[in-house]
Amino acid sequence: MTLCANERARYRRHLSLPEIGPSGQQRLKDTRVLVVGTGGLGCPAALYLAAAGIGTLGLVDFDRVELSNLQRQVLFGTEDLGQLKVEAARRRLLALNPEIAVLTHALTLRADNVCEVIEGYDIVLDGSDRLSTRYLVNDACVLLGRPLVTAAIHRFEGQAMTYIPGLGPCYRCLFPQVEEGAVASCAEAGVLGVLPGVLGTIQANEAIKIAAGIGAPLIGRLLSYDALELSFTELPVSRRHDCRVCGEHPQITAPRDIGPACDTETLAARRLSAIDLRDLLASAESAGPPLVLIDVREPREFAARHLEGARNIPLRELESRLAEFAGAGDPVFLCRSGHRSLLACAIAWRAGIAAPGHLEGGLLAWAAEVDADFEVASD
Amino acid sequence: MSCTVHIPSPLRSYTAGALKVPADGTTLEEVLASLEGRFTGIRFRLVDEQSRIRPHIRFYVNAREAQELSAPVGTSDTVHVICALTGG
Repeated sequence: MTLCANERARYRRHLSLPEIGPSGQQRLKDTRVLVVGTGGLGCPAALYLAAAGIGTLGLVDFDRVELSNLQRQVLFGTEDLGQLKVEAARRRLLALNPEIAVLTHALTLRADNVCEVIEGYDIVLDGSDRLSTRYLVNDACVLLGRPLVTAAIHRFEGQAMTYIPGLGPCYRCLFPQVEEGAVASCAEAGVLGVLPGVLGTIQANEAIKIAAGIGAPLIGRLLSYDALELSFTELPVSRRHDCRVCGEHPQITAPRDIGPACDTETLAARRLSAIDLRDLLASAESAGPPLVLIDVREPREFAARHLEGARNIPLRELESRLAEFAGAGDPVFLCRSGHRSLLACAIAWRAGIAAPGHLEGGLLAWAAEVDADFEVASD
Repeated sequence: MSCTVHIPSPLRSYTAGALKVPADGTTLEEVLASLEGRFTGIRFRLVDEQSRIRPHIRFYVNAREAQELSAPVGTSDTVHVICALTGG
């Protein structure tokens, strides 16, 4: 398929660049890019990839648009609230450029579907907000031989790096293993709205370079950006010979789920369904052992609505406030979706609390299964 | 004489928000001890009980990675602490 008259007009500024020109633009059109996560990073990345004429864009996200997203997730408008992000994004991208195809994957990537999704694309951009997804996507890209442009953000700081199969280090070479609770998420720590715009467009830039076969990708170079100083720092990253997925003797030969938090800490967590918790609360009221409900959401979320008897200790403060409830009974951690509460279990377990519990699916599950009138504040 | 340590965003709560802080020491280990003296608790976020660098942390001295705490640090050197970020 060659470029039609409309496309030649649309991409005129690209066609004027000797480094791209008609053949480079055709390469962009023939390239399929998967954007994992249509959040702060994925939105600007997808917007620029669509504008640039990447022929097929895939979007992965299971979430729906919330008001708190609009401060940085520039594909969405107020009218999109409550809608699936991938569908709202698809409409916006096709309005920008109807010459491209936008495919949606409204799902959670897991070990049993990640390869099937990624196989349909040439380049992957990871803008997910979970470390478990980052490792899953990295491992799948290594195993399938797909280039991966990864980026992450926190408050005023961002990082980006590109993996090209056989040419440089992967994400596991950079960080072999991460205790997810060790690093606060943007939901807990906050993020400058414009920050993912900077990093997301860097990801799009990398994808376009790889697709067009121009320039020098961020292979083996970690780009660290600080918005407060407006400084970019580039640091070398070497391939690890003992990397578990791309090393000389890989132990990971197929994608595997590692859970939202890594390894043993979360295995110790008691995972309670909303029905389990309801029954436990009822038995504790009669004669059962004391149940200590710790809501690890931010105070604003807690103030909007919380379970009776719950006390608020934001996740970011948990480590320093464990003594407030140690010995009072078995803690059950609560949050909006079950993500932060599982991290809280890991923190508590590491501190020696034998059987921390958490509400799986969070208060959203409570609202869905136990109390339909329970309104859960956005994070 | 001191080096300059760049603190990653997730650990700036220890340094009252400061991105760059001075620290003393001729090795990374001494630099961490110097930091701990001023910002209690920060060392444990970087290395574990066995003084191993945590797997989500990387140290660079003048943009060269330091994989051991015995890595030398010179006067006026810049130490970058890189921490895995999760946000998207």
